[in-house]
Parts: sequence; structure tokens; C-alpha cells
Amino acid sequence: MNSNPHDRKAFESASSLAEETLRMIASLPAPDGLEDRVNAALSAAPRRGRVLAWPRTLRPESGWMRTAAAAAIVFVVAGGGWGVYMRVEQSQPAKVIVMPARMPVTGGLAGAGAIRTPQTLPGPIAPEPAKANPARPKATKKPVESHKTLGTGTGQPASTGNPAAEPGPSR
Amino acid sequence: MSTSQAIVAGWMESPTSAVNHEARRRAEDNALAAMVDQYAGALYRVAYSVLRNQADAEDAVQEAFVRVLRHRDTLGEVRDHRVWLIRIVWNIVLDRKRRAKTRPETDDVSELARVLPSKGLSAEELAAAAQHHAHVLACVDQLPVKERQVLMLSAFEELTSVEIASVLGITESSVRSRLFRARNLMADLLEHQRSLR
Repeated sequence: MNSNPHDRKAFESASSLAEETLRMIASLPAPDGLEDRVNAALSAAPRRGRVLAWPRTLRPESGWMRTAAAAAIVFVVAGGGWGVYMRVEQSQPAKVIVMPARMPVTGGLAGAGAIRTPQTLPGPIAPEPAKANPARPKATKKPVESHKTLGTGTGQPASTGNPAAEPGPSR
Repeated sequence: MSTSQAIVAGWMESPTSAVNHEARRRAEDNALAAMVDQYAGALYRVAYSVLRNQADAEDAVQEAFVRVLRHRDTLGEVRDHRVWLIRIVWNIVLDRKRRAKTRPETDDVSELARVLPSKGLSAEELAAAAQHHAHVLACVDQLPVKERQVLMLSAFEELTSVEIASVLGITESSVRSRLFRARNLMADLLEHQRSLR
């Protein structure tokens, strides 16, 4: 700022102007009789700035007030200590509740190998399959001619006509 | 003196302690009166530099000493009474200035014309000087608060930078840097005003 010599000169003159004015203001003489007026105001002013003044005998400057305050502090501290001491003396021993011993997990009740099986609902019973008749001769190969004449043409052997002789429906 | 006697003496104020109290109060009054004689002028000038009104400045000085009277118990703890008093009056005038509305420049001109030393100056020259000073003071009012305060206090010959720092509650280096900034700003403001005219 103000690196130019001309600017610097202007800056100095401007700041000196300001300081000259401020110095002039600062050096103005006080009005006559100022001290007397201030002293008069002081003598008229209340001596204490408190709204509630201490009574004469209760003034904080007096020694007994300090003594009383010290005694009160000692009383409070000693009383508090005594109270704590008495409370510690009169206190009952703590009630002890015996807790049952815990059963070890391994030595507890055992299942004795029992396995519970749930009941099942009665459902349909499948019929027993019929045994094949050993007396009935096994159908063997028949001559080609007869097969041709008796065949139904479905490729299945022809029925014998006796339903009892035939095996029942397998379920 | 036994303990019981001491307690009784505490309960009933003896004539001796009353005399001592009265003597102490008179001594305090005398010390305060001496302080008024010694510092009232300096306090007035500090107050006037901010308020720029004779009656307001005088009121501020009176208020400062009334505060001292109320707290005279702490006078013994004060190291430098002058700086302490200037700090009190400085706070009072700043508070008043904050509460008061901004004064028009014409008020400053008329007030300055009244108080300026008029030796060897015609009425016209005096009016021109007052106008010039009022214009400079208007520029000072445009400065930021911190810089303005330092600049105004630095105008008092009797205040060193350490004392200004003590009054404002800042460090001495802060005082120097603020003063430098204030001078630069002031020069800019005056140049700007000159270029406008």
C-alpha cells in the first residue's frame, strides 16, 4: 500500500491531518471548576452502593461477624463428619441370602435312552396280495393254429371264462 | 483481651473502633479528593474526545469518580490509578456513545467552534478550522471500532502503547497493528473525500 512516493507523501499528510485534529481534541483544557463540581457530586453521592446496608452491629468489617462465620463453618463440617461416623456405626450387617448350589449339567436328569415316538393316525391298510395257485397249470406255448383261431386280436391271451381262476387285481 | 471480651467487643461497637472507622473514612475521602484534583482533567479530555460534548464529558467524569467512591475498598489493589481511571471513564463514554444517537456533523462544528483555541484567528478562520476538524472527525467515525479506539487513544500524549493496551485490554502488538491499519484507512478515507470534492 502506498508504494509510490507521491502516494506515500499523500498518505502521510492525510494521516498527520487526522492525528493533528485528534491531538487538538485531546489537548483541549478541562472547563474551570471541574474538580470542584466532581467533589461536590462525590459528597452528595451515597457512601455505599448497596440497596440494603448492614446494620451498625452487623457490619462485615467487625470481627465478631468473621468469628461467627468461622464457627458456623466448623460446626457444619464437624456435624457432617459426626453424622457420617454415626451412620457407619449403627448400620446393620448386610443380609446374606444363600443361593442354592447349581446342578452340574452333566449330572442332572438323563433320558435313560428313551426315545419318544409320536402316535400315528390309523390309515388305510393295504390288502395282502393273493398267492399264485400252484395247482393251476402254467400257460405254456400253444400251437400256433389254435392261437390264431381263439385270439382276440389284441395280442393278449384269451380268457379262460372262469373269473375265479384268474388272478385278482393287484393293488 | 480474652475471648469473652472480644465477643462482647464485637457485639457492641466500642468508641475506639468508631473513631478508627471515622478516621479511615476521612483518609479515603482525602485520597479520593486528591485523585480528582490530579486526574479529572485527563479524564475529561478522554471523555470529550469520544462524546464531543462538554456537558456529557463532565457527566462521564463525575460518574467515573462516583464508581470509584462505591468501590473504594479495592483502591489498594490498583497498581496504576491513572490507567485504571481512564479505563473506567473509557467504558462509561463508550456505553453512552452506544446508547446515544449519531450526532450530526453540524453539532460537531458548532461545538468545536466554541471550544477551539481562538488566539490570532479571525472568526472566519475559526469557523473554517472548526469545519475542517469536524470533517476529519467524521472520517474518524467511519473507521472500524477497534481501529478508531486505538487511534483516538494514541492522540493522548500521556498514554504509551502499553497503557493503551491496558485500557483496551489487548496486547501491545495489537495496539501497534491496529494503529497502522487505522492510519492507512484514515489516509484512504481523506483521499477519497478530497477526490469527491
